[in-house]
Amino acid sequence: MSVEPVTGMASDGGRSAMMWRRGLRALIITVFSLLLVIYVAGPVAWLVSSSLQSESDITAVPPNWLPPKVTFDNFEAIFAPPKREVTYETRRQGDPATGRFLPSGAENLLPSLWNSFAVGMAVAILNLVVSMTAAYAIAVIHFKGRRAALYTILVTRVIPDIALIVPLFLVMRQLDLVNTRFALVVTYLAVTVPFTIFILISYFEQIPRDLYRAARADGCSHWQALRFVYLPLSLPALVASVMFAFLTSWNEFIFALILTQNITSQTLPIIISGFVMDFTTSFSFINAAGVIAIVPPVVLAMMFERYIVSGLTAGAVKG
Amino acid sequence: MADTWADRLSRKAGYDERSAAILILPVFVVLMVVALYPIIYSFYTSLFDIVLTRPWRRPFVGFGNYARIFQDPMFWVAVQRTTVYTVVTVSITTVFALFVALLLNEAFPGRRLLSALILLPWATPSIVNGLMWKWIYDPGYGLLNGILVQIGLLESYTVWLGNPDRTLFMIANAAIWKQMPLAAILLLVSMKAIPQDLYRAATVDGANVFQRFWHVTLPALKPGLMLVLVYETMISIRHFDLFLIMTQGGPGDASYTLSWQIYVETFRNLKFGIGAALSYLLAIATFVLSYLFIRGFGSKS
Repeated sequence: MSVEPVTGMASDGGRSAMMWRRGLRALIITVFSLLLVIYVAGPVAWLVSSSLQSESDITAVPPNWLPPKVTFDNFEAIFAPPKREVTYETRRQGDPATGRFLPSGAENLLPSLWNSFAVGMAVAILNLVVSMTAAYAIAVIHFKGRRAALYTILVTRVIPDIALIVPLFLVMRQLDLVNTRFALVVTYLAVTVPFTIFILISYFEQIPRDLYRAARADGCSHWQALRFVYLPLSLPALVASVMFAFLTSWNEFIFALILTQNITSQTLPIIISGFVMDFTTSFSFINAAGVIAIVPPVVLAMMFERYIVSGLTAGAVKG
Repeated sequence: MADTWADRLSRKAGYDERSAAILILPVFVVLMVVALYPIIYSFYTSLFDIVLTRPWRRPFVGFGNYARIFQDPMFWVAVQRTTVYTVVTVSITTVFALFVALLLNEAFPGRRLLSALILLPWATPSIVNGLMWKWIYDPGYGLLNGILVQIGLLESYTVWLGNPDRTLFMIANAAIWKQMPLAAILLLVSMKAIPQDLYRAATVDGANVFQRFWHVTLPALKPGLMLVLVYETMISIRHFDLFLIMTQGGPGDASYTLSWQIYVETFRNLKFGIGAALSYLLAIATFVLSYLFIRGFGSKS
């Protein structure tokens, strides 16, 4: 702790001892901060570095920490795929970036990127709308059965996701929703909503109840009280909810793996996992795909760091 | 106008109840279809001997599936693997996060930048996390071998993920990298809530840094630590993504965890009944462990 000692300030000896201790403290903090930065950012830096190297460079021994020759061929192959008319010539030429081998399905990355975005945005918006109304009802309106409602919502997260997949797949097949983005949106709503409601409830409960009474006395309906009193006062929690919902659906894997089987609805993690499990695909190319998947969530997390931290921990502070 | 309209509504018996019902309805519809119904259906499935390769006969067996699971030696292998993985991941994550939280609780230049930077692993999708570490561990060209040989800790390249004695720890390391930041943030928030007066009082009483940590910080952190332990346990005990992307349960059965067994029984052996029963056992284990943590911490404070 950075609390200054109250005694021992008077003598010269005391002062130099203090200077020494300050220096030691600064040294320790610097060393540990640097170690932490390396630990956190190092693996990702290596991911980015090897995505910019050609096949022959990433298979060097010892490994190249930095690309000896930066190449964007992997990203070009993803974002501007060459015409894939298969002739004897194109087969022989291949793609130099990926060891003259562009994995089959490389052209699926772009549509799956779009699918991930569409699903993530839809989940973020819908999650906020349904969660804030439900959280308001549970936190603010003192209706009978609000505890039961809350527990019912929270208990849905106790069962492991993998247990839900088979019945969920059957439900979706019955509704004719397999291989649609809509199926993913609904599923991710169910995954994210309980946590969002929990966060919003703990936020709403911190807002003084007098504000609510005043609003109702002035003739506000419940909808207006939510709209004009509660929402403006819980901006950090709302931003955190949107971020949380988007990141969760952007990162989700196992539901998408089972519920979507073609490129009209498959998301980025599914396409990437296909590359990883195909032993012929170069890691140079796989890493480039990984970089693409990592950029949107990381940028969002960094931009909204303050909101995310205060929003995600709102429920935790109460202990 | 609006006043009288709202007043009249409010006075009408049941306005609150009706509003609450309308506001909560969308969530319940979604959860009913996508969560509650599957949960119940899954339990129902666990009572039948359903094998998809034998669709014409699906007899009711009651808790027979559960009995069969307990007699299956692979189940006990999975329990052992899951226990090792969970204990390693949760304990290291928690201790590591505690150190990071202590660091970020200090005032120093660059602290804000650092606390934004540690969200990087948290935001990384688990599939990318898996492929990233798989590439770092690569026996032929990976960074881990490269660094260890370059600084002389290793004489020659070695196998990491493919070595059964190491696999679980290698996967745990990838999981810790991703899970540590959120745990650190949760602990940091509880740390910031500790009144500074307690530290001043302890300092006046002549307590040094370590005594202050032991007698002031740690006891005040109990609720935060409990939250982290419960959360990390729930995440680790049922973790699946890394096992699929990194090892597929292998080599041999070295990373054959419970969630991997559920996947294999359900989607490879197509034994839906067994898979559902296994899921329920995992859910019960999660539930009991969380309860024990909460009880254990509650009784001491």
